[in-house]
Amino acid sequence: MIEVKDLQKTYTGKVPVHALKGVSFDIPSGQFVALMGPSGSGKSTLLHQLALLDTPTSGGILLDGVDILSLSQHAATDFRLRHMGYVFQEYALIPELNAIENAFLPLMLLGIHRKEYIRIAGDLMDKVGLSDRLHHLISELSGGEQQRVAIARALVNKSKILFADEPCANLDTENKGIVLRLLRKLCNELGQTILMVTHEPEQREFADRVLWLRDGRLEKEEYISKDTQEEALHNGYRTDISSDPDYLKDD
Amino acid sequence: MRNMWNDFQSSLFLFYKYVTRGNKVTLTLTILMATLAFIQINIVHGILSGAVNLIYSQTKSNYVGNIVIQPGKDQWGNKEQYITQVERLKRKINAIPGIIGCSARYSTGAIIEYDPDKTGKDIRSISWPVKSINPQDEMRISELHNCMLAGQYLDESDRDQVIMGREVSGGYGASLEVQSLKGVNIGDEVTVFYHNGVVRKYTVKGIYATVFPLADMTIFVTQKEMESVLGLRDRASEIIIRTDEAYPEAYYIEDLRKAGVELQDIRPWQDFIGLVLGIVQSFDIIKKIILFIGLIVAGVTIFIVIFIATISRRKQIGIMKAIGMKESIIVTSYILLALFYATIGISLGMAIIEFILKPYFIAHPLVFPMGKVSLLIVRSEFLTSIASMIAVSIVAGLIPSWQVSRENIIKAIWG
Ligand SMILES: Nc1ncnc2c1ncn2[C@@H]1O[C@H](COP(=O)(O)OP(=O)(O)OP(=O)(O)O)[C@@H](O)[C@H]1O
Ligand SMILES: [Mg+2]
Repeated sequence: MIEVKDLQKTYTGKVPVHALKGVSFDIPSGQFVALMGPSGSGKSTLLHQLALLDTPTSGGILLDGVDILSLSQHAATDFRLRHMGYVFQEYALIPELNAIENAFLPLMLLGIHRKEYIRIAGDLMDKVGLSDRLHHLISELSGGEQQRVAIARALVNKSKILFADEPCANLDTENKGIVLRLLRKLCNELGQTILMVTHEPEQREFADRVLWLRDGRLEKEEYISKDTQEEALHNGYRTDISSDPDYLKDD
Repeated sequence: MRNMWNDFQSSLFLFYKYVTRGNKVTLTLTILMATLAFIQINIVHGILSGAVNLIYSQTKSNYVGNIVIQPGKDQWGNKEQYITQVERLKRKINAIPGIIGCSARYSTGAIIEYDPDKTGKDIRSISWPVKSINPQDEMRISELHNCMLAGQYLDESDRDQVIMGREVSGGYGASLEVQSLKGVNIGDEVTVFYHNGVVRKYTVKGIYATVFPLADMTIFVTQKEMESVLGLRDRASEIIIRTDEAYPEAYYIEDLRKAGVELQDIRPWQDFIGLVLGIVQSFDIIKKIILFIGLIVAGVTIFIVIFIATISRRKQIGIMKAIGMKESIIVTSYILLALFYATIGISLGMAIIEFILKPYFIAHPLVFPMGKVSLLIVRSEFLTSIASMIAVSIVAGLIPSWQVSRENIIKAIWG
């Protein structure tokens, strides 16, 4: 599904920065991959190249068999619209649109019939647990809710690939749990291929596989066992216990 | 095609949300600025057009009428001195539908002398044209009879009386005092030395002032008196014609020619307004400047508003592009917003002009030296102001939104 070959990215400037120094990996369809590494190791840079937001210096990227680096700017915009979803660290929603409008925006751009896109977006909002927040303005939603709207928007085009750059960085523990569980479920139930950048080691337990990046190179990789995954899905980032002192005393 | 329509619908959707969910104060103030700019343009245009119109109508009613007939050329190509068979000609002219009246005038040069204390010590003498009128005919084509500052208008049978413009008499607020007789009053006696050698004494019966200094530099005697002075009959130096103005002058001129007024030189009033034309041309320049300033005010306001809106949404715009929205959709949505400011501004401006300002100016016209001026909205200028305002708003929406939306996505979102 995602094939990366000897990807290099050098930021030209006063001092050239070699952010990616030749990265290669394959991600099969339906895999949830966590991308980890110290700050400045090139995680975001890698994601930007994959999501066609930037142009790599050299190397190759195949997404679902398409050589995306050969696409014209126009075709790249269209490819982003049709074949991928991207979740930003900050809840990157359009403030003038309400929750469902943000979610269905890509479908509207695709020219899908209004009835149809409202239905699809509605279903997704249901899936991310926001069926009772459809007509709330963005400013009326919590950070976690906003991030879930952003995930709904990223999935609404039924793309098979979802990129997420530290989607939980700005969320509290409870919302982190909600979002990570949601991603895990999407992978399990919809067969979504997910590449998620994260800082926190606990978060990787929701994934199938972890790629470690260091200094622009792939350092190591790790597969998460089904048991660890199950454990994370059920108990990871639970706040019910710690956030309730009375409950703690009783225990 | 389908694609473009779909893109446009997306732009429309975004635009609609900017308006309904955006800042209402900004929206209101921007529209207000567009409204004011539009009103400003059209009010100044309207006043200037009103003034020009006043000058034109005064020209016609006080100076040359709608159409002037002058002597034609003789068989050798020289200009004749007089129009002949005037009575016959007048009958033909008056028979033409749409012609309100005509007045035949003699015009001759003369020296006018005024001896205020009748001692011969202080004789004031000037050289001005003396014209004759048939007072009855003249009343149908000019406002002269309504322009008497003092004394009375001429009667048909008056032989030893004259009326004179205030530029001839002096006093009465005349503007060219030096060249006048410096203070003639009604009842005073003046001596006229005609060019053909005839000398007559007249009593001043009335003093008049039109709004034209040029038209106030004349002395009028009756037709009877002039014919006796010149020893002529049934002739005229010029015939002034008033029409009902249902058609342009050219139509009536054609009718005149068809009716047999052929040999004479027939001209519309526009041929006699060289002086006025200078004023009209400078008004036109002022109009252009005002239009330009108004458009700049409206354009810059809209530009700034769209500029701030897009700059402060740099990140959102980057994100919209990141999820696959074309730049053109974003730019179009802001052009629609700019157009919205402009069209609502224009509509409000139109309503205010139509229902508040026009009635106000009709009730309280501006008083100019030439007369009362109210708003005259010229259709073509009005449409030009609308079209140029719309064009300017498109540019004002396009430039900032295009600049922001073509920015690199990474820079827009994280830079
Ligand atoms: N636009 C840019 N211009 C120049 N250098 C850049 C640019 N973006 C990133 N870099 C540099 O490239 C390197 C990798 O940056 P990147 O943002 O990919 O790191 P990261 O792994 O995402 O770090 P973090 O965990 O802090 O988000 C860093 O040294 C960074 O300074
Ligand atoms: Mg990063």
